Amino acid sequence: MESLADLSPGTTAVVGELRFDEVDAVRLMELGFIPGMSVSCQRRVPMGDLSVYQLDGTQIALRSETASRIRVRPEPAAGVENAKRD
Amino acid sequence: MPSAIEAAPAKPQPEQGARRTVAICGPPNVGKSTFFNRLTGLHQKVANYPGITVEKRIGRLELPNGPPVDLIDLPGIVGLHPRSEDERIAIDVLRGTSRATPQPAAAVLILDSTNLQAQLRLVPEILGFGIPTLVALNMADDLSARGGNVDAQAVAKQVGAPVVAVSARLGTGMDKVTKFLEGTLAPPQPVELPVLNNIPAERRWAGGVARRASYHPPEPSLWGRRLDRAFLHPVAGPLIFLAVVVLVFQSIFTLAVPLMDAVDSLIGTTAGWLGILLPDSMLKGLLLDGVWGGVGSVVIFLPQILILFLFIGILEDSGYLARAAAIADRSMRAVGLEGRSFIPLLSSYACAVPAIMAARTVENQRDRLATIFIAPLTTCSARLPVYALLIAAFIPEQPLLGPILGTRAAVLLGLYALGFAAACATAWVLKSTILKSKPAPFMLQLPAYRWPTLRSLSYRLLDRSKIFLRRAGTVILLTTIVLWFLASVPYTDGEPPAIGDSLAGSIGKTIEPLVEPLGLNWKVGIGLITSLAAREVIVGTLGTIYGMEADEDSPALQDALRSELSFGSAIALMIFFAFAMQCMSTVAIVRRETGGWKWPIAQFTYMLVLAYTAGFAAFRIFG
Ligand SMILES: Nc1nc2c(ncn2[C@@H]2O[C@H](COP(=O)(O)OP(=O)(O)OP(=O)(O)O)[C@@H](O)[C@H]2O)c(=O)[nH]1
Ligand SMILES: [Mg+2]
Repeated sequence: MESLADLSPGTTAVVGELRFDEVDAVRLMELGFIPGMSVSCQRRVPMGDLSVYQLDGTQIALRSETASRIRVRPEPAAGVENAKRD
Repeated sequence: MPSAIEAAPAKPQPEQGARRTVAICGPPNVGKSTFFNRLTGLHQKVANYPGITVEKRIGRLELPNGPPVDLIDLPGIVGLHPRSEDERIAIDVLRGTSRATPQPAAAVLILDSTNLQAQLRLVPEILGFGIPTLVALNMADDLSARGGNVDAQAVAKQVGAPVVAVSARLGTGMDKVTKFLEGTLAPPQPVELPVLNNIPAERRWAGGVARRASYHPPEPSLWGRRLDRAFLHPVAGPLIFLAVVVLVFQSIFTLAVPLMDAVDSLIGTTAGWLGILLPDSMLKGLLLDGVWGGVGSVVIFLPQILILFLFIGILEDSGYLARAAAIADRSMRAVGLEGRSFIPLLSSYACAVPAIMAARTVENQRDRLATIFIAPLTTCSARLPVYALLIAAFIPEQPLLGPILGTRAAVLLGLYALGFAAACATAWVLKSTILKSKPAPFMLQLPAYRWPTLRSLSYRLLDRSKIFLRRAGTVILLTTIVLWFLASVPYTDGEPPAIGDSLAGSIGKTIEPLVEPLGLNWKVGIGLITSLAAREVIVGTLGTIYGMEADEDSPALQDALRSELSFGSAIALMIFFAFAMQCMSTVAIVRRETGGWKWPIAQFTYMLVLAYTAGFAAFRIFG
């Protein structure tokens, strides 16, 4: 599919490839952006280009340029997702 | 009995006889400092957003059974790969590579139990340091209030380390912590942990541990969702932001008035008693004019400062500040800074010194320097007494927006905005020239909303009062006494001189040509010199000078100022204070954080030139 930046508020997807150098990718993973993790876009922050994402029990705001380098794929059907969640 | 501490694998021990140290570590904003404060009785700063603690802090803990231990509160870490200065400090201490601190004998890993499946990932990483570790699942109160629960014993079995559920806020579960610190808590069987440096694998393991310990995450907070909907609403969000700012500034004037009157009459009454009690002597003059007049005229502003800190406290403890930072990201981005710089800049409204230290959380070195450079331009609370005095003397109070916003609050707001604008413009210049860098990904964690506690708010106010009064009792008292002596010599025919003929007067008159272009007289000139020590000193200095000058019934400082300064020169003076770096503590901290004199000297010169030019322009325009 597309990148995290394309996710509209209220929708959910699964984290895919992180198109960053090693250092930045590690930090994103430490914050929960681990391939396979389910992530939802909650809302856009007013007056800017931050969006708030909910993932792995926390809320994180990212600028769109960062979000656009996090690939996502559509969420699989509910049953499958639960099985591979953890 | 096997002891958690003694069971440690042999490690290079700190030198003989040194006290045992125990490090408190964990992810950001999980309550490490709250936990540390609970045990040591100290008041480390606590607030509801990540990156508050940026330095290690040591506190002694007396144990009921056993020798005391030194607890070390560390900055938060999200993994073993530090990116910013504060994270590096924490990792260095845990690893034992910090020069100043030997490797601690044990560690307490604090985790947020409301998000356990993600946070447990840090367990193998911390256990990998090879020191006995207690895992404390904090926020137990919040977890159970929202219908979650966890079996700490089951977690312990799977991680091979002792685990307790605690609430650092309420103090529950701390008895087991004490046992661990005394070394009498039996650790469970060690188990095999996932290999490090594979975050997805660690995370899968953590999820498995949580599941097998029948961890029920708490219900998502409905209130949090509602608050975010309002605070981050496209229209309401920015309006609320604005309303909050206006409310704070208006309260500084309206709420503080009765309190200030009370302080004022207290100072007046005690001065009256002193006047009656003391025989006429030089000492009496020093006490009444120097100390009471000088220090008293600064202390009177304590209520306004406390109101500012009360609001900052509520905003920080509730979690709103992180949302404000998100909204402000745009302006940070426009000037080329990371949004992360916003939080240090915000804390600069209290005081630039902690703000400059908080810039450690800014990962990019060039961004960090830019943040340090502009922090003293944002309006710190030491400017408040100066502004409040001049505004009260020169700006008549009139309603602007009905009862919501008056002229005085509006002028104050304008001064704050001016400082912020100067900070932004300076950042932009720096970031597009000597401190240019490629933008790094910006990730802002939004903490859960929490009720500010009375305990934490009152500690903030108490600590702030102590700092303020200590400054009044040291820096301000000292400059006032020196000034009083300079203003009392030379005696002619056994009589003290008129202040204009005194030594202080002649110094002031020598520099008068320098301040004249801003419409200021030599008395204010003396104040500008003394305020190099700290900004609010000028208020004390003016209090002393005008107090000594007036005979008997000293007119209020405000009236004296009104009779000698024009409206334009008052504006020029305020603008000078908005921009100038009159604070030796700030100079010292910048030197320490940047490791040399280059940056503080550049900063001091730049701000002085800016202040003088802008003050001159203001006097031309308004004078
Ligand atoms: N409900 C609840 N809140 C807590 C508890 N412990 C801490 N908090 C709150 O969590 C927030 C963060 O606390 P801190 O002690 O500053 O956290 P920290 O881990 O030192 O944070 P950093 O220094 O920024 O890494 C504050 O708002 C605390 O009031 C607890 O046991 N229960
Ligand atoms: Mg802390």
